[in-house]
Amino acid sequence: MRHLLLSACLILCACVVEAQTRLSIKGRAVDTTSTALPFTTVMLLTPKDSALVSYARADENGRFELKNARRGTYLLKMSYTGYLPFQTEVTPADGAVTDLGDLKMKPISKELFEVVVKTAKAPLNIRGDTIEYNASSFKVPPGSTVEDLLRRLPGFQVEQDGSIRAQGQEVKRVTVDGKNFFGGDPKTATKNLNADAIDKVQVYTSKTEQSKATGIDDGKKEKTVNLALKEEFKKGGFGKIKAGVGTDKRVDVRGNYNKFDDKQQFAVVGFGNNINQSGMSWDDRQDFYGSSLFRWDETDFGFGGGITSSDGGGDGIIVQGGNIIIMNGGGGDRGFNNTYSGGVNYNFETKKRKFTSNYYFNQRRNWTNQIINRQSILADNAFETDSRSNEYTQNDNHKVQLRYEDNLDSLNTLIVLANGTINNSSYSQDLSQENRRSASQLTNRTTQDNGNSAQTLSLSGSALYRRKFKTKGKSFAASVSYVLNNGDSDAEQRSLNEFFSTSTGLPLTPLQLNLQNVNRNRQNQIRSSLSYVQPLSKRVYWESFYNIGVRNDKVDRDVFNRLEGNVRTDSLSRYYTNQIMHNRLGSGLRYNYKGTNISAGFSAINMNISGKFSSDQNSPNVMEVNRNYTIVVPGVSFNMDLKNNRYLYAEYAGNVQQPSIRDLQPIIDYSNPLYITQGNPDLKPTVNHEAYAGYQYFNPSSFTRFFGNINYNYAVNQVVYNQTIDTLLVTRTRPANVSGGQRFGTYLNVGFPLKKNKANISFNTSINFSRNYTLINDIENRTNNNNYNWGTNLELTPSEKFTFYGNANWSYSDVKYSINTTQNQNIWNQTYSGQMNVKLPWESYFNATFDYRIYKNDRFGLDQNIPILNLAVYKLLGKAKKSEVRLSAYDLFRKNLGITQGASGNYFTQTRVETITRYFMLSYTYNMRGVKANMRRNGGF
Amino acid sequence: MKKKLLGLFFGFMALSLASQAQDLEGTVTYERNTSYTKMVAKLPFLSQEEKDRAKMMWGNEEGDKQKMKLTFTPDQSLYTYIGEQGETDDGRWSWRQSDYVIQRNFEKGTVTELQEMAGKTYIIQDSLKTPKWKVLNQLKDIAGHICMKAETEDPTNNQKIVAWFADDIPVSTGPERMYGLPGVILELDYNDGVTVVTATKIEMKKVDAKELALPKMKGKKINMAEHDRIIKAHIKDSMEARRNPYWGISLWN
Repeated sequence: MRHLLLSACLILCACVVEAQTRLSIKGRAVDTTSTALPFTTVMLLTPKDSALVSYARADENGRFELKNARRGTYLLKMSYTGYLPFQTEVTPADGAVTDLGDLKMKPISKELFEVVVKTAKAPLNIRGDTIEYNASSFKVPPGSTVEDLLRRLPGFQVEQDGSIRAQGQEVKRVTVDGKNFFGGDPKTATKNLNADAIDKVQVYTSKTEQSKATGIDDGKKEKTVNLALKEEFKKGGFGKIKAGVGTDKRVDVRGNYNKFDDKQQFAVVGFGNNINQSGMSWDDRQDFYGSSLFRWDETDFGFGGGITSSDGGGDGIIVQGGNIIIMNGGGGDRGFNNTYSGGVNYNFETKKRKFTSNYYFNQRRNWTNQIINRQSILADNAFETDSRSNEYTQNDNHKVQLRYEDNLDSLNTLIVLANGTINNSSYSQDLSQENRRSASQLTNRTTQDNGNSAQTLSLSGSALYRRKFKTKGKSFAASVSYVLNNGDSDAEQRSLNEFFSTSTGLPLTPLQLNLQNVNRNRQNQIRSSLSYVQPLSKRVYWESFYNIGVRNDKVDRDVFNRLEGNVRTDSLSRYYTNQIMHNRLGSGLRYNYKGTNISAGFSAINMNISGKFSSDQNSPNVMEVNRNYTIVVPGVSFNMDLKNNRYLYAEYAGNVQQPSIRDLQPIIDYSNPLYITQGNPDLKPTVNHEAYAGYQYFNPSSFTRFFGNINYNYAVNQVVYNQTIDTLLVTRTRPANVSGGQRFGTYLNVGFPLKKNKANISFNTSINFSRNYTLINDIENRTNNNNYNWGTNLELTPSEKFTFYGNANWSYSDVKYSINTTQNQNIWNQTYSGQMNVKLPWESYFNATFDYRIYKNDRFGLDQNIPILNLAVYKLLGKAKKSEVRLSAYDLFRKNLGITQGASGNYFTQTRVETITRYFMLSYTYNMRGVKANMRRNGGF
Repeated sequence: MKKKLLGLFFGFMALSLASQAQDLEGTVTYERNTSYTKMVAKLPFLSQEEKDRAKMMWGNEEGDKQKMKLTFTPDQSLYTYIGEQGETDDGRWSWRQSDYVIQRNFEKGTVTELQEMAGKTYIIQDSLKTPKWKVLNQLKDIAGHICMKAETEDPTNNQKIVAWFADDIPVSTGPERMYGLPGVILELDYNDGVTVVTATKIEMKKVDAKELALPKMKGKKINMAEHDRIIKAHIKDSMEARRNPYWGISLWN
């Protein structure tokens, strides 16, 4: 009981003490004429850091009371629309209530309030009694100077001589980002700086330079204007340069520089090397094209599969032994390459207008020595083709791209595109090829010496107009394009073709050819496209499109026989003109709701091909091919956005491919005596029915991921090349339509951390089954190719000093030929690769990549192991780590062999290309923005 | 004289607002914009070159935009998306919006949040904790209201938050997790413009109790301390994995 009493007393005492420390602060908000300001907001802040302690609201007479405040010094702040926030320090007097009496608030000048706060939406800074303001939204014409900008700011006067007065006082100093500008004469900055570059104009009163220097406050204050630059203008740009020299005369030089601000982007890039690096990396491409890289303009509107053409430009393509060798760009990194490239890009971008222009030059010289072994399967036997060739290609390419986009207003957009390419190439080849029966009996042999030089010019221009309507989702678009492709080539074909009797093995009469082949191709095309979308309800849209295109080709091929006094050979020469006209009309419905997007529609395609063929322009014997096809194909797509990063999607479309002109010509081409081709005017377009479905999932917390998909393709009227092979192993081919070729595939990938951020593992598998048909010597052959792949990836990132990335892939193919099961093959490919990064002392790093490939094929008796090891040590230099010195070793074991193998149709091919092997290189890199040591890979940002 | 007239004008404005003050309830529509470039610029694992490249590529692109709505009375508030799906401007493509609702009851001092983060949906229930505000000396006009600047810090994901509040709407509420100022918060700025939430429309009108009700919710129930732990762990893991943590939390702020 006593205890209870005591505690009650204590509580009571505590309450009394508490009551004494708490107090009320009272006052009245009035304006300068002592008129009450009703409902003024009153806040109590701590003077140290302006932290909000409590707040209240005045009554209709402007009276307020802040109750229950702890005793202490406060900052009392009042706010009332149209008035300068009032601020005063309050130290409460003794007693429970402190009355501050009338607190007078000053109105903000109307001009400042209306112009700065209301119109420009610029924040006002209040500092005691004075105001600084940031003005970023005062519109001045482009090219205006800061002086023009200041003229527009309320409270500023700019005199005839350029001197500035702010709030009545002369401005003594103008600083840029707080720093003196060119010695501090205010006029230099304001007259020279572009208003575009300015984000904020801040006016404040500061101590004089003298008092700053001496540290003695002389009491004098001067007006200073600070010009805060836009962030974008602060960044000059970025760039890097790299130079490396190595053994075997290996050289690698590259450099790029970028400059950009919020409106313009400028980039130059250049590189030259003989280490088979012919393209730009993804980062290089971004640096070069800048924001224009992702501006793709679809000028042919439509959905659910389109029309593709298997005709190349008709230029630079030469057919040799059934292999199509594409002169432009072909070759990749095979063999030995010397590459020189360079370009300039300029982008200009505002919300309303976007302009992009670039020029890019690329020269590549390629030397390829290759051995091709090919096994062709026939009904009763098989034969082998062994060829060796030395090729040299030089390709010079100039490319210009222009794009202009004008958002005429909020509803209308116009885009104009223009591209031009000039390509000059020359090619020479020494080829020797032998065809052997299965018993290794030589049946024929060809020795060729070929050469070609070609010039092509491609120009294209498009205009695209898009219109939106006030009704959401309603839209209209129209486009028109013109494409011109001109190609001229002059080819030399010299060959000695020898044949050997199948019974005796003795040589038969050889066939010698020495031809000059002069080609002139002219192609032009006009296309136009319309699209219209009409919303039917909030979730359903009706979409329609129409495409029309007319393509005209004119090809003049003159073949001269050098062996017979350069006489024109009519049987090989050709003149043809043809016109392909296509119309495509489609219509469908689209539905979307909460991430479920479904669309379904049909498109009808009509194609009209009409061609005239003769051996010469003046020849009276003109053959005509006229074909008209109409095909209707459906298209369906389904996408679903599920909870927690899960997505489900499926699509089906019918794609139509028109037969190539070459395949339609009913003419026999004897220019390669071992491989004679013939066209088929009855070819129908191919329709590929393609379907796929997939699911993906990623857990951003556990980093577990899964994705899987299945795909299926069924071909109707696929164009296949039926072969007739005679006893001398001369192949004659003729294209025909076959239905039933199909492909089924599936892919799965699962990844998860073994230990989060230290070790990740993933597994993938894909299974592909395909079936293809051809006629071999009038017997139908079905090739079944069953391909199984497994792979695993391991990422070890135990520390900042050591990382390892490894993967292993196994692939097994089982190829079966229905006409000759003894030729069935099993192909094994295995790859093991790893990358290791180690951080050494003194900003040095070590990097090793190892790549081990195993190729096996029972029938060929092939068992090839290729281990490739690359090593590098590099050191970052300087405080800012802007330079790097690197010593690298490439293919340390000298094992690099460009090897590929694959089966298709009725043959299996294995190619080996001689390519770059071991070299050492010492290189130096300078990067304006610093070199980053690549210890760990980025995981997506 | 001019000054006096002006004073009178503002006085009337304040009075007319005050007369509405009997029913201080309504809705505020916000536009929430996240700048990818500014976000990337803050990722510690990227080099300066990578940041500059992102700025050049995407600097002129509009950010990731969402339309949000705050429904409030002096005692309660509910903040969530406007519309039931995310969609392109033309409405032809839609996507699912992550679960995101914040409901506050000032009378009871409680908060209930529905949020998807790090691959899971959570129901976060806790008592209200007012952010510690500093009130600063700046004025700005947002959607026709003069706002004052205030600042706070969010220790969970280490960011600076600037709020602009309108003291002519004297309800101590605001969007997202922010409230506790003498007026409605009309703009929020996270980390110098990475995410900016700006009011576009303010409607003072009677609010139906239904508009403040929580939707049907499914998720793991946690409190704010657990929420903070999950966010912190997610940010740490993502940074270590060289991933942008933004891709795992929505809405990210």
